[in-house]
Amino acid sequence: MDAADEAMLRKLQKELNAGTVALVLLAILDRSAEPLYGYQIAKRIEGAWQEGVPVKQGTLYPVLRSMEDNGLLWSRVEPSVAGPPRKYYQITDRGRVVLGSWRAAWARTRDFVDATLEGNVG
Amino acid sequence: MASTVEGYLAELRQALAGQDPALVHDALYDAEDFLRSAVAEKGDTPESVAAAIDAYGSPEEIAAAYREAEASAAIVLRPPKRPAAATWYGRFFGVVGDSSAWGALFYMLLALATGTVYFSVVVAGLSTVLGTMVLIVGIPLALLFIAAVRAISLAEGRLVEGLLGVRMPRRPRSVGQTGTIWERVKGWFTDYRTWTTMLYMVLQLVLGIGYFTIVVTGLALTVTLFAAPIVQVLSDTTIIRSAEYGYYIYPWAMPLVMFAGVLALFATLWVAKGIGYLHGQYAKAMLIGTFERSAS
Repeated sequence: MDAADEAMLRKLQKELNAGTVALVLLAILDRSAEPLYGYQIAKRIEGAWQEGVPVKQGTLYPVLRSMEDNGLLWSRVEPSVAGPPRKYYQITDRGRVVLGSWRAAWARTRDFVDATLEGNVG
Repeated sequence: MASTVEGYLAELRQALAGQDPALVHDALYDAEDFLRSAVAEKGDTPESVAAAIDAYGSPEEIAAAYREAEASAAIVLRPPKRPAAATWYGRFFGVVGDSSAWGALFYMLLALATGTVYFSVVVAGLSTVLGTMVLIVGIPLALLFIAAVRAISLAEGRLVEGLLGVRMPRRPRSVGQTGTIWERVKGWFTDYRTWTTMLYMVLQLVLGIGYFTIVVTGLALTVTLFAAPIVQVLSDTTIIRSAEYGYYIYPWAMPLVMFAGVLALFATLWVAKGIGYLHGQYAKAMLIGTFERSAS
């Protein structure tokens, strides 16, 4: 694979991430029993990938903030010894409803893409 | 690539230069949260810091992510920009609906008052501090004076942002400013912005006098030209007088004179808008500094 191919692969990965990162974050917060702060969420994502996380963890934070602005998440700030006060995020009822519809949309997309790749479409 | 948390934050701040200060604040806050959490967990070694920075993403990448998030939110929040008028006279007279022109006009009037206060504070403060420097009270006085200068700098920034529409910081917290109270105080003296702010405050009196004069002249000209024909008709005397000669405005010229008064108002607004823009850039350069110091 030459450099140009690699660049295109990175571009695809970046676009895939952009489309799925909000869904992944929402799902993680839905599964979690207690509120999580940014670093914990980043750790969970890092732990779930087998090798090399393709998403830069700093890009998660603006997504968390915009989901909070849209009412999908709720946050509270607590002081921390390590650095600045921590922002703990929790999913809201509206977030759960939205997650349900996103989950369905994801399943449709995934099935469609899989079907195309297996040659069942077209 | 930075090798310390402070260095990374400084780079991120640089990558976000020109963005909304509130956005910059949020982005720095998030980055500091992540990096300090990582350091707290894995130990404060150069390797763990480098690994955390690598996992977090390059300043350019992160800045781009915040810009995108801001852009998608801003479309909803920000009022639509007024479309520019198509014709030259439409543009010329459209300035009357331009809030930045009126804000600048008001700022120019206010500059005489703020300029007088700033000038007095600096001159009185500096001479007191220099005069008492040999005594022990000189030191607390000097600190008090510098603190006052920094507070006024922030207040003037709010005024400039409110009236001239130039983005100014809501908190002039410089990245990496940690340590004991004495180190911070030392930072005040070595920060070139403390000195450019003082210069700004002294010059504000000169500029304030000029700005005030320009606005008052423009408005006086407007009122005079607009009112002269009316007063002449009502009082039946000549308004424009020079020595013993009185100049009568002919009836055919009356609408022209009044129109000239209207033009003077619009011209004043345009001048105010232009000066407001220039002053905003100048204030930004003097009060925040156009380039960021790299963290040491």
